[in-house]
Amino acid sequence: MASRICQFMRPLAYSVARKNVLNSIPIVYHKFQVRNNSGAATTTPTKYSTIATRNEAIRQHLTQFGAYVAECLPKYVQKVDVYHHDELEIMIHPDGVIPVLTFLKDHTNAQFMNIVDIAGVDKPSLENRFEIVYMLQSIQFNSRIRVKTYTDELTPIESACSVYPGANWYEREIWDMFGVFFANHPDLRRILTDYGFEGHPFRKDFPLSGYVEVRYDDEVKRVVVEPLELAQEFRKFEANTPWETFPSHRQLEGKYQKTTKPEEKK
Amino acid sequence: MATNRLVQQGVKQVKPLLSLDRTEARRRVLNLYKAWYRQIPYTVNAFYIPVTVKQGREKLRELFMKNKHVTDIRAIDMLVIKGQMDLVETANIWKQRNHVMMFFKDTVNPKPTDFLSKFYEGND
Repeated sequence: MASRICQFMRPLAYSVARKNVLNSIPIVYHKFQVRNNSGAATTTPTKYSTIATRNEAIRQHLTQFGAYVAECLPKYVQKVDVYHHDELEIMIHPDGVIPVLTFLKDHTNAQFMNIVDIAGVDKPSLENRFEIVYMLQSIQFNSRIRVKTYTDELTPIESACSVYPGANWYEREIWDMFGVFFANHPDLRRILTDYGFEGHPFRKDFPLSGYVEVRYDDEVKRVVVEPLELAQEFRKFEANTPWETFPSHRQLEGKYQKTTKPEEKK
Repeated sequence: MATNRLVQQGVKQVKPLLSLDRTEARRRVLNLYKAWYRQIPYTVNAFYIPVTVKQGREKLRELFMKNKHVTDIRAIDMLVIKGQMDLVETANIWKQRNHVMMFFKDTVNPKPTDFLSKFYEGND
């Protein structure tokens, strides 16, 4: 989006400045925090060559665009963040799903016409435990944006289907996996789980093994579902993958380090 | 101060799911029950399951009574929504025989309660 949005925004900023309403801009700016997690990429680019280097220009354009969105929709936008280097994230109040998405879709300077995905995040420690993340793409400005909102188990969220018809199945998936209800959805029903399945598998309190097991029973000649019982020794799960995913970033701890170091010297 | 906060929590405004008050929620539950009740003969017939209509209705009552302790209006609404979706899946025959028979749990053996049968079972 970067340069082209800037092209659009420069005359706008100019007109704002001419009308002497520039005073309001610092007020808007202090509302959101831009993270400055300056990674190792800038300091030691040779060591972590796979990590993208940050582009200050892109970052600044995104920050400005985020500020612009926050200024246009002060009622709904709660926070704007630029993550990593070039990922703009807009946190909104759950009431503002339709207005914000409509703005981002229809505004000339945004034109986020495509909905790429809707994701859910479960954070059981929070009061509003579910985060709903809308990922949008603007073909016009070759840019992506994330819109985040929040809800709990029983609070409905307005369906985005009226803005993006493509959101239909994504919202069904969220409903199926997390149990977040979308109000005014044209066709809300299960999409991934089997008929008769109980529970929402992506919730953090849903056990990895599930509650039931399914098998074919020869006597009754059909598939039967029975409550799952695992002996205690089969119930210990390891959280780590068995494969080493980032060998070059391996951090050896304690005694392992002591034993391996002399070997390297030899 | 603490009581103030408690009172504030007590009267916290929440977004309704479907029903605005208890009577409306109750009406939705009864409507769902009636819809299921009338659907059961067709279900028994269409799926050709080894269950009589009477047994089906008993099971229906049992499943509804299982949630009779729920008092939160939104929780009731959520259960009604899920029950309604289940009814649609059954009425449109998106389900198969085994899905309908899942309500009855006829192959599940009751868990042993006394010492000897637990011992024979081999667990614990």
